[in-house]
This record gives sequence, structure tokens and C-alpha cells, in this order.
Amino acid sequence: MEWIGLANYAVFMAIFICIYALLSLGLNIQWGFTGLFNAGIAGFFAVGAYTSAILTSPAVEGRLGGFDLPVPVGWIGAMLAAALIAWPIGKICLRFRSDYLAIATIGVAEIIRLVIKSEDWLTNSARGITDIPRPFGDLPYVYSQLAYLAIVAGVLLVAYLMVERQIAAPWGRMMRAIRDNEDAARAMGKDVPFRRLEAFIFGSALMGLGGALFAHFNRTITPEAIDPMIATFLVWIMLILGGSGNNRGAILGVAVVWIIWSMSEIVTDQLPHEYAVKAKYMRVFLIGLMLQLVLRFRPEGLLPEPQGTREEVSEKSK
Amino acid sequence: MSDILVMRDLVGGYGDANVLQGVSMTAAKAEIVVIVGPNGAGKSTAMKAIFGLLKVRGGSITVDGTDITGWEPNRIVEAGVCYVPQVSNVFREMTVHENLEMGAFLRSGDLSAAYDRVYTLFPDLKERRKALAGNLSGGQRQMVAMGRALMLEPKLLLLDEPTAGLSPRYMEQIFQICRDVRDTGVTIVLVEQHAKQALAFADRGYVLASGANRHEGTGADLLADRDVADMFLGG
Amino acid sequence: MDALEIINFYLVPGIVIGSIYALGAVGITLVFAILRYAHLAHGDLATLGAFLALGAVTLGGVSPYVALPVAMVLTAAAAVMIDKAFYAYLRERPKIVTVMASLGVALMVRAVVQVVWGVDSETYTRGIVRPDVWFGIRIRDRELITILAMIGLVLALHVFLQQSKWGKAMRAMSDNPDLALLSGVDNKKVVMLTWIIVGGLCAAAGVFLGLNYELKAMMGWTMLLPMFAAAILGGVGRVEGAVLGGLIVGIAEEMSTLFLPTEYKAATAFAILLLMLLVRPTGLLKGKVL
Repeated sequence: MEWIGLANYAVFMAIFICIYALLSLGLNIQWGFTGLFNAGIAGFFAVGAYTSAILTSPAVEGRLGGFDLPVPVGWIGAMLAAALIAWPIGKICLRFRSDYLAIATIGVAEIIRLVIKSEDWLTNSARGITDIPRPFGDLPYVYSQLAYLAIVAGVLLVAYLMVERQIAAPWGRMMRAIRDNEDAARAMGKDVPFRRLEAFIFGSALMGLGGALFAHFNRTITPEAIDPMIATFLVWIMLILGGSGNNRGAILGVAVVWIIWSMSEIVTDQLPHEYAVKAKYMRVFLIGLMLQLVLRFRPEGLLPEPQGTREEVSEKSK
Repeated sequence: MSDILVMRDLVGGYGDANVLQGVSMTAAKAEIVVIVGPNGAGKSTAMKAIFGLLKVRGGSITVDGTDITGWEPNRIVEAGVCYVPQVSNVFREMTVHENLEMGAFLRSGDLSAAYDRVYTLFPDLKERRKALAGNLSGGQRQMVAMGRALMLEPKLLLLDEPTAGLSPRYMEQIFQICRDVRDTGVTIVLVEQHAKQALAFADRGYVLASGANRHEGTGADLLADRDVADMFLGG
Repeated sequence: MDALEIINFYLVPGIVIGSIYALGAVGITLVFAILRYAHLAHGDLATLGAFLALGAVTLGGVSPYVALPVAMVLTAAAAVMIDKAFYAYLRERPKIVTVMASLGVALMVRAVVQVVWGVDSETYTRGIVRPDVWFGIRIRDRELITILAMIGLVLALHVFLQQSKWGKAMRAMSDNPDLALLSGVDNKKVVMLTWIIVGGLCAAAGVFLGLNYELKAMMGWTMLLPMFAAAILGGVGRVEGAVLGGLIVGIAEEMSTLFLPTEYKAATAFAILLLMLLVRPTGLLKGKVL
């Protein structure tokens, strides 16, 4: 019996790793290839989750939505909604250094959190949205889990291949040129803010898709489902540890960090209650410390960006 | 040997490229030395190298007998070298007087003699001592920049294109101030675009090309040299 | 609604919270201008300051006003240590890497507060304080002290920056860092001094927030957005601008409840931030744009 439980847990973990990998890929487009600081990942994630939930769940009295649309429509809607929110923010902030984007994305994530918490008619507030359809959700538990894993893995693979293709294309070379030497890229006549906007929107759409996959996996979404700060930060440490600028690194980082994060939770859950609460914050402290150590001792991450694509790092921004 | 500055076979540059491929020069006490040459010859780079602002891979720099090769800029300041960059050479949001005060940051004790000296050299500045440096004209800003550097009473003053963008009237004024400063015993090394005028007023000159010495001699000799005239002075 | 009601219910609370934002925004603007990055752990440093004062209040049995200077000194020390431990070695790297490190520090500082003091709301003193009435304007002692303390601290900082040698060095570093180095200013000392001042101001912001509202682990983080909005509104690098920005953001937040649900107070700061970046990124008093 024990190993079946273990296998089930492994499948569960693998699904989460695939979902986080989408977020990490999205952040890699923004940070790894373009140098944009998005500190509101959880916001785009939540927008995607709620959008898809509203589009695909059955109708309910008293709130918008319940359109009962097919799941893929929900996922596309999730990407569009996240992109639509990213657009004005990027439009305003990308003319400046990325510090401003960091602040603005913290703000947008906060506003999204407030909307989700307080707008009954849209998100059903604290009770959240339930009965979100899950593809192959009617199968017996194990098969259903495996089927969903196959779906998220498939989505991840498609996203990975698309990003890889885009990065190898002239577009990707141009983005790296902008990141590594903005002035030179500008001098060559590149429309830097527009290119950055593209990357910001594209990355945010992937985060929205990640949110949608999460909502459909859980079948419900509530404001408490994600701690915005921790979710955002986990994705950051995943990408930095894995190796920003390298898509395989981005995914590897997700696996490593998620396994550490989940294992540490299992350990701390064994503690008596009063310690368990404190232990949760100790874990947060350690994950913050981990980022500092990676930044200091292995800033290129586990799988560094392939040689030749990165120029003098110190020229990146002044 | 009364040479204040001795630069020997200097090799170096930014990043991996060597802009300087072996530059040598000397400057004696109370002498004005001008560095001229075509664009990209490494004139400003040679000056920044003295100040430790780029990677030096070979050669040496001594100031008044002390080898300062590879020192941090603030130690070089303490050794008596002041440098006036070509651009952003004043604190725009500070007053003229505060700019001079920052120039004397490393000094302590009574500074009134130093202020008097600078305000005597630049009477214009005395009038505008309470004005923000950013609100001055280009010529006056250059004076603030030089005044700031002189507050430390340096042995060696490095000026990077002090007359760039200034009207002929200001150019003459800056040159005259350089002479006055030299006459107080300070060695001045400056980089100039206006080669003809600069060579005419300097005691000695160096002509650099492609990061190496091409010619050297007194200003008058260089002006008379056919090769120099053909190469840089446009006939 | 008459003018007095507007003053009592919107303007006075707006000026009080605005003064608290101002204390934080001054620190943000100093870090932005002198160290040249957005410091995302600023709010959580304020939280730390507030809880350190709580420690002094509960352990020492002193009033929060006595605990304030203690908290300021301790938080200044914490800020200097954080810089030495986590930011100093990133100085040669692109500044945005330090922004990222500061996000990590924000999380770590908050985690420390949560482990040491727990996650429940706390207060410095119990009981309800009745406001005094002056010509129909109702104001509590603590509110008056908050405003006066802000003015006093900012004036002291202003004198320091304008008159003292190292204050001028800080301004020089903000104005033209290369030239400041060429003038022999020791960058390390300026950085340390900046953190001492910023840490102290953070603690003051945190203590006054705790005094007028309550202490919770998230108090500083939620203050981050209005503080940044205030700093950018006033003009990055402008101390007086940060004060003006703080007051405007504070008053705007309170006034917004006239026509927006209270939950969306925080959206006001965000709207101000985006609007300024859109129409006048240098801020009201012509500051820097990074």
C-alpha cells in the first residue's frame, strides 16, 4: 500500500511541477531573456485561474459567469486575460528601468488580490468558484490524475518548444541584444520598449495559463488558494537557481525547489502544532536565504545560459 | 628629475580590447602638456589610465616618484592628482560653493586660503557662489569643474577636453586660467580637440595615433612639423 | 456633509497616515537616489522596527515614545547588517539584481517577525483613546505626535544633508556618483550612513503605524506601494518631495473612500503611481528617473 501512496504523491508533485514550470518559463521570457522584473507573478496566475474558472464552470446565481464553455476556451481566455492586464502596465513602465516594473507589478498583484477578495459578483469572494470542470475528471482517481499529468506535461512541452523556437529565432537574438546592451540595440534602431512589451505580455500569458491549469486541477479556486508573496517568490528562486536564460534550467529549478519545498513541509508537519506554525515561517526564511546564497555563489544557476548568447553581464543595466 | 608624471609603455583598455598599445609621456613641474590626435587615438583613455579608471595591462605610471599604477581613484586623489572629466564634471544640484567644498572633501582645517585662490582665478564664480552649478553656462560650469579640482591643491591636474563646446572667448579664458594655474607650480596635462590652438599655448605636446606615441616636442615644433600638420591639423 | 466632517473623517486621518508614508518615502527616495535601486524590503524593515519597539514596550515596560528611539537605533543597525550581508557583494552587478535580493530580504525579515512575535495583531497600549477637540477639529495626542515627529525628523535630516560634510557627500553621491568618487568620497561610508538614516526612518514609520493602527506582520508590506507612490510622486531624490508625496497619497487614500469601497484604498496609491509614470515620471519636484 505504501508505494501506491508514494506513487500517487509523485504524480501529484509532477503535476504541480509542470504548472510551476509554466510560470518559470513565463518568467524566463521576461527576466531571463529580456531582463524584466515581474514581482506580481501570483497576480497573473490568479487572473488566469479565475478567468478560466468563470468561463468554464456551470452557471450559478448571483455572480458573473458560469458560461460552461469548453476547457480549452477557458485556457485561451486565461492567457488573453493575463496578457490584457500586462499590456497597460508594460506600456507605462517599460520605458524606465525595471525597478519601476517591479513596483508596479507588486501593485497590480495587490489590486488583483483585492478584487478577488471583495467582488462577489465576479469571483464569489471568499467562497471562491467551485465545480470547475477537470478534463478526464470522471475517471477513477489514479487514472484521472495520470490523465491530467499527461495534459499538463503536454501543455508544458508545447510551451517549451515554442519558447525555444522563438529564442533561437532572430527575435530571441534581438531580445538578448537589448538585454545585454540596450544602448547599442537602440542605436541599431530597435524599438526597445515595444520588444520588451512583447516579452512581458507573452510571459504573463504563460503565467495566466499556469493559473488556469491549477484551477482545473483543484476543481475550485478561492482567494486563499495561493499566498501571493510566497508563490511569486518561489517562482523567482526556481528560475534563478535553475539558471535564468536557459529554459531547461528554468524547468530543472522548478523540480528542485518544489521537491525541497514540499519535503520540508512534510517534515515540519510532523511537529507539534505550535511549532508547526513557526516552522512554516522558518521555511520561508530559508527559501529567502537560499536566493541570497544562489545570487552570491552561483548567480548563473545550475544550468547556465549557453555560452555565446550572453555578453558582458555588467553591461546589462547601469 | 623634476618630472611630476612619468608614464612608461602603457598598455590597457576597457574590457578585453587594448586601446592603449604602449604610450609613454612625461610632464615636468609647472608645465602644460597637451595630448592631441585624431578621434579614437586613445587621448582620453590615456588620461583615464592615469586616474585608474581602466584596466592597465602593462607599463607603469609614477607621480612625483611614487608608482601609482593600479591604485584606486580615491588614493590617487590623495597622492595629489585631480581629474576633470569632459562631461558631467560638476554636481548640478549643488551650489558653486558646495562644488568647491566637495573638491576639498579630503582636506581638513582652514580652507579659506584655498577658496580665495580659486575665487581669484575665477572671479565669475565668486559672484555666483550661491547658484546651482546646473544653472550655469557651459563655460562657467567648466570653471566650476576646474575650481573643484584645484581645491585640493593638486600637484598634477588632468583636464579632459576642457574647451569642448565652448565659444572661442571662453576657450581663450580657460587657456589663460591654465597658464595662471601653471604659474602657481601645478603641472597640467590636458587632452584637446582644438589641436592648433592647444599646441600654440602648451609648453609641450604629444601626438597620439592608434593608441601609441606618434610625435612629441614643444608646441611650436609640432606646429611646424609637416607630418603633424597633414595628419591632424587639416593644413 | 460639512467641511468639519470632511476634516475630521478624511483630512486628519489622511495627514496622519500621510505622515507615516512620508517617513517611509523619504527613506525610499534616499535609497533610490544614492544607492540607485528600488528597495523592496523597505516595508518589512518598518514592520521590524514596529515590533522591536513592541519588544521594548513589553520587556522594558516603557511607553512607545521611549521605545521609538530604541527601535530606530536597532533597525538602523539591522539595515546596516542586511546591507553588509546581502547587498554589498552585489554592488558590481546590475542594480536590478539587488532589487531581487531585497525582495528575498523582505520575505526573510517578515519571517523573522512571524517566528518571534507570531502572526496575531498586537497593540502598544490597550484601551480607547478619546480625541481632543480643538475648534471642532478632533485629533488624538498620538496623531498630533505622529505629525510633529515626522516634521521634526525630516527637518533634522534636511539640516544634516544641507549643512554637514557627510550630508553633502550623500547629496554629491546622489547627484553625480562618479564625480563624488573622483573627489575622494568613500562610497562605503556613504552607503553605511544611508542605511543608518533609512533604517531609523523605517522604524519611525513602523512605530507610528503601529501606534495609530495595529501591529501585524503584513503591516509594512502593504505600506510598500503607497510609500513608493509617494517617493515617485514627489520626485526621486527629493526629500521634501517625498514628504509632499506622502501627504498627498495619504489624503488621497482617505478621500477615495468617499466614492470607492474602502477595500480599494490601496488602489489609490497604485493609480497615483501609474499616473505619475505616465505623465510626469520626474515627479512634482523634478527628481531623477532611473
